[in-house]
Amino acid sequence: MTATERLLQTHRPADGPLRVLAASGQLGYGIPQAAFERGMQRRPHFIGCDMGSIDPGPYYLGSGEMAAPAPMVRRDLELVLGAALAAGIPLVIGSAGTAGAGPQLDATVAILLEIARDQGLRFRLTTVRSDLSAAQVIAALDQGSLAPIGPMPQPSRDEVLECTHIVGQCGSETLARALQTPTDVLLAGRACDTAIFATLPEMLGYPMALCLHMAKIVECTSLCCRPAGRDAMLAELALDGFTLESMNPDAHATPASVAAHALYEQADPFEVDEPGGTLLLRDAHYEALDAHRTRVSGAQFRPRARATLKIEGAARVGERCVLLAGVADPTMLGCLPQALRAVEERVRHLVPGDWALHSHVYGQGAVHPLPGEHHSRHEAGLVIEFIATDAALARTAAGVFKQNLLHYGYPGRVSTAGNLAFAFTPSEIDAGTAYRFVLYHVMRDAPLHDIFRIGSVAVGGPLAH
Amino acid sequence: MAATPLSALAGVIRSKNAGPTQLTIDIFFHDAPAYARAAAGAALSESAVAALYRLDTAQVQRYLLPGIQAMKFTLPRRICAGNPGDGDVYGAQQHAPLLGVLL
Repeated sequence: MTATERLLQTHRPADGPLRVLAASGQLGYGIPQAAFERGMQRRPHFIGCDMGSIDPGPYYLGSGEMAAPAPMVRRDLELVLGAALAAGIPLVIGSAGTAGAGPQLDATVAILLEIARDQGLRFRLTTVRSDLSAAQVIAALDQGSLAPIGPMPQPSRDEVLECTHIVGQCGSETLARALQTPTDVLLAGRACDTAIFATLPEMLGYPMALCLHMAKIVECTSLCCRPAGRDAMLAELALDGFTLESMNPDAHATPASVAAHALYEQADPFEVDEPGGTLLLRDAHYEALDAHRTRVSGAQFRPRARATLKIEGAARVGERCVLLAGVADPTMLGCLPQALRAVEERVRHLVPGDWALHSHVYGQGAVHPLPGEHHSRHEAGLVIEFIATDAALARTAAGVFKQNLLHYGYPGRVSTAGNLAFAFTPSEIDAGTAYRFVLYHVMRDAPLHDIFRIGSVAVGGPLAH
Repeated sequence: MAATPLSALAGVIRSKNAGPTQLTIDIFFHDAPAYARAAAGAALSESAVAALYRLDTAQVQRYLLPGIQAMKFTLPRRICAGNPGDGDVYGAQQHAPLLGVLL
């Protein structure tokens, strides 16, 4: 019998709390081992790990590459896989390989297989593919069932076709379908962070509102504590509430720190939209059990008739080359915007073709707009992006721009030997392919069964049990 | 009462993306009087924050959480996170204009 079958058949909410161990909110950056091991000593019923997010921008979804370094992904997977199999409990991992797209799911499966081979492990692996075809998105676009989230333009059909990867965030209805098959380890492509932690409790009969609220908090592990951290977090879920406890004895879950976490990366602190409905936190209640643990209750859930699907898609923009340089001359610093414009115009004549320039002038408002009187007159850093149809053109534009800015004659110039300081050469660096988000939308009436494909493989050969 | 900068009244002033199209800003005040002062005044009204971020008032949503002495603002990002021209992919350094707001 697999770990999931065993849990689903033997645990009844009336028997006592369900212990959920959140091992990582970002698998692949080094799960703190001591706290994780303390968590395992508490005999959790399952382990959950989030492995991805849309936060690092469109590059990872667009390229299909993992953001986390592969050796550290392997180290973290070894830790949680070994512990879950030794304890005979399910391991649930969501948003495989950063963006949860097909190549990232495949790369994560490959690492799991490599670990299993090296260590002689056997387990039943269930996978969920979260990729959508452009045709599925275009059909939704044509039916008017695709709505942007926030200020996102509605894409054209061509823009949808340009997406290199499109993923949907599977929710607990999909993960439940996957977990109804025999499973020791569930690895999902793009998934709602909450579904990773809420699905098994929901299947066991715990109230949806509590499952989701618990999941919403523990998916970031000890980030809800004071001081905040990345250590494993234990939730003990009952039918009337749940208790939160960091597995780092020095990170305390207090009512204030847990309540504050409801605001984190969340547009609305009172209403959280999930695929199956809305989690309502206005009546949530936080109570200290002691200086280290907090008891949470009171969240409500308003289900919607049909689950919605959040989709994400990224398209290639071009190849990027980046010019890095410093400026220290006060007169030059006083006329930088004009100088950059004048040099760009000159380079446009010299280097024809389809290339774009984006300048970031650090010290003069690169991070957020600064009024003129706050512009640095002592030193500024230039990060100038050139994005072109091909890398050679981007590099050509960057190189020609660099030399022309280096020797640009601006009014009042005294430093006639050169305008730029380079920390190294080449100071123009190929930065790979540039992507942009085309889709960050909600799809209504999405064909969830067609989109999310469930796979199953006996790793290390057929299981004895 | 002498005007005090927000940075002296709050222990946490942070910004972050809420998805790639929106930015959300959380302010946790040191105590109830500091929160009450901010909530009652105009310096952190939706229109004042909109002006600070060069947006229309209707684009800024303010949430008040007196129970935890916190205030939250959600606003649209000018450029979708990480698209060419963006300067802050995570939106984690967009709190700075608020630090000097006088209350």
